[in-house]
Amino acid sequence: MSADNTTAFEQSPSAWFSRRRRLKRNSLASQILVRIGSAIAVLWAAVTLSFISIHLAPGDIISLLIGEQLRTPEIEAAIRLEWGLDKPLQSQYLTYLLRVLHGDFGRSYILQTDVSGLVLSQMLPTLKLTAAALVVAVVFAVASALLTAGRRLPRSIAGSLELILISTPSFWLGIVLLFIFSFTLKIFPVAGDRTFSALVLPALSLGLSLGAVIGQVLRQGLERALEEPFMLTVKSWGANDFVLRLRHGLRHAALPAVTLAGWLVGNLLSGAVITEAVFGRPGLGRITVDAVLAHDLPVVLAVAILSAFTYVVLSTLVDVLYLLLDPRLRNQNAEAGH
Amino acid sequence: MLMRRYFLGLTAAMLVTGALPSLGMAGDGTAVSGGKLTWGVETEPATLNPQLNGQDKTKLLLRNAYESLLARTADGGYVPWLATEYKISDDGKTYTFKLRDNVTFTDGQKLDAQAVITNFTKLKDAAYSGSVSAGPVSRIVEAKALDDHTVSFTLNQVYAPFLDYAASLEILSPAAFNSTQLKSGGPEIAGTGPFILKRYAKGQDIQFVKNPAYNWAPKTSAHQGPAYLDEVTYRFLSESSVRTGALTSGQVDVIEGIAGNDASLFKGNSDFSYQTALNTGTPYSLFLNVTWGPTQDLKVRKALISAIDVDAVLKAVYRGERARAWGITSPIDPQFYDKSIEAAYKPDPKAANTLLDEAGWTARDADGFRTKDGKRLTIEVIQAQATVRDQRDVLLQALQAQARQNAGIDLKIVFVDAGTYTDRRKTGQFGSIANSNTPTDAIDIEYHYLPLDKGGSINYSRAFAPELSQWLNEAASTLDQKKRFDLYSKLQRFAILDQAYALPLYEPEDQVAAASYVKGISFRPFKQLPESAYDIWRSE
Repeated sequence: MSADNTTAFEQSPSAWFSRRRRLKRNSLASQILVRIGSAIAVLWAAVTLSFISIHLAPGDIISLLIGEQLRTPEIEAAIRLEWGLDKPLQSQYLTYLLRVLHGDFGRSYILQTDVSGLVLSQMLPTLKLTAAALVVAVVFAVASALLTAGRRLPRSIAGSLELILISTPSFWLGIVLLFIFSFTLKIFPVAGDRTFSALVLPALSLGLSLGAVIGQVLRQGLERALEEPFMLTVKSWGANDFVLRLRHGLRHAALPAVTLAGWLVGNLLSGAVITEAVFGRPGLGRITVDAVLAHDLPVVLAVAILSAFTYVVLSTLVDVLYLLLDPRLRNQNAEAGH
Repeated sequence: MLMRRYFLGLTAAMLVTGALPSLGMAGDGTAVSGGKLTWGVETEPATLNPQLNGQDKTKLLLRNAYESLLARTADGGYVPWLATEYKISDDGKTYTFKLRDNVTFTDGQKLDAQAVITNFTKLKDAAYSGSVSAGPVSRIVEAKALDDHTVSFTLNQVYAPFLDYAASLEILSPAAFNSTQLKSGGPEIAGTGPFILKRYAKGQDIQFVKNPAYNWAPKTSAHQGPAYLDEVTYRFLSESSVRTGALTSGQVDVIEGIAGNDASLFKGNSDFSYQTALNTGTPYSLFLNVTWGPTQDLKVRKALISAIDVDAVLKAVYRGERARAWGITSPIDPQFYDKSIEAAYKPDPKAANTLLDEAGWTARDADGFRTKDGKRLTIEVIQAQATVRDQRDVLLQALQAQARQNAGIDLKIVFVDAGTYTDRRKTGQFGSIANSNTPTDAIDIEYHYLPLDKGGSINYSRAFAPELSQWLNEAASTLDQKKRFDLYSKLQRFAILDQAYALPLYEPEDQVAAASYVKGISFRPFKQLPESAYDIWRSE
């Protein structure tokens, strides 16, 4: 195994870093600069598009804020003054950008609270939920792929289970999980975000369908890898089947799955809306939906910035994961640097 | 007298369900202090400031911490609370309240005349209170302290609903008006209630702890002195089936908002108690737009009302769990509901078809709908998707089926987002909007029948007949209850029978289910909403 350079599994991270250090400094710096530049562009685009779409959507902010209550010119004037809506749109937009640069995200029209505090307080429960869901998804996908790839009967059982999970609405799955494990067996509480055990069911209901999608991709990849000639070589060294799959097959299968996962994790954030409602959990989902419906611009924009930021971080992580998983990409980079 | 007798008859059923706290307690043994309670609720408050919060469903929790000058009795009367007495001047314009002299806000501030004046004066400022500033407070021309514990408010003219408003306004500590939490509400906003707002976790729960110094409960409560419970937590569980499951599995002690299908789990089950109370205010009604589309024609409006068998629809949709409504206010209202409207109209498909023939909708298209000049008889019902509750989408579909089957009317239900809903409301481009509200003392009627720009903020029939505002203003400017009753009664017949502005459907209700060890749950006398946790105790 020690001689197996194809998988390069035993290369220590320090070896990898020393190779990276050999890259020309300006190439690394420029790569980072490009990353940061495109991140800023993405954030700016997210803010601008959200700003425009909220203003294009039907319903003006003042009417939405007044709702079914009494409406007089004095009330309208008070609202305009309070939120700076009396200024032209361009100046509202520029003022907002300026304020954001200073770290001031404004106040929620509806909830009347500081948006940074609001979003930060709701971000942690959502991050916990999505992280736990991701763990569920990865464990499910890896286990399902490793145990069933290339084996006819287990494969078809797992495949059908995955299909069912993919096509089950997470709302329904959540209610069923609650009914069985919380209301009937009383193992897990429905409780919001208070204990670790309260995280289990929401994570399952959000993570399982994601795991099912990744699992299918991973299994196909694994099956392809198992048919590669090098597998025969490894087998000839006397590696048993499990080691074969885990240490040699999985890495080959992981690339498409990682690509997919990076994209799906972004979807987790939007899927969290429903899971949060079912389980009575705090989180970004609820406040985002309410904010969009009510045209609560400061909240919408803050969430847009946060989501864009999350996507940027995720796509960077996926790129780094590629490098870790596939030595060929590292060598390409290294050669490009010389 | 007639009204009172009627009310007693109607509340016979309510007594059984514990609508009156003193009777609800009977047979529950002696109350014991201590313990914690968890209550699963549907609606999370948009703001915790009770003066700015317009959500009826959140009053049950806000009322733990915030109190008002007078409490209402079941027959609509007033009893002392933070004020020991009140007086209305002979000209009907000046209201004087004498305050208790031993009341302290939970932040240590004293309740005195100046504190009450601060509350009312701040509310007049649109920058603080928005739409509230245009309500009854806008009529105050002078608020003054006669002594340390006596305040008087003078109005620009007689306005009968003012007493209910002034008596029910939650009084905040004067220090609250300098807090950054003022508009969002929160622990910094102190009231005088039996509980203190301790912690609010957005999206999750809100926690109140006992106020040990509390000693000013109104006579309508079942006991005096501090609350029984040490702590009460309200958890926000927006899904009805999750609330039900949380109660049946013992994860919460009480829930509110129970779906019709789940009621049977608790009814007649000795492990639980189940109580309901009809709401006050205008019933859930289909308002027909008199300024747009086919409903501009009185004959079409009358035809639609004749075409629909409301009793059959309610039975099919709610299995008899909802009370049929007939008029412009709730049948539970002891002051202004004239029950002579009941059965004064009935479904009559034949009459409906005759009316539509007369109105010129004589041809039929391929789908069986009536047409005129090649245009289908379509009445668009606009419904905001986000505010659908209580199976009202199903109810509307049932109405749609009846209108089509019985008269060939295309009652088209259009689900829209909040923004589009706001736009259509504003421009008046809709055939019908279904809606209910809950204010008492005929304010509910004013909101629905005053002209749009004169206080009729939810006048969805967009009715502007001069009689309406004339009667409403006349009724509001006299303190003679008998005269007011007669005017609202006249308006009811005019609006429903003569002009067919609205088809009343059912009176919404509140439901509360609790584990059997939870005692003392009740609904507020007169206002009908679930009462605070003050009288609640645990028998184990």
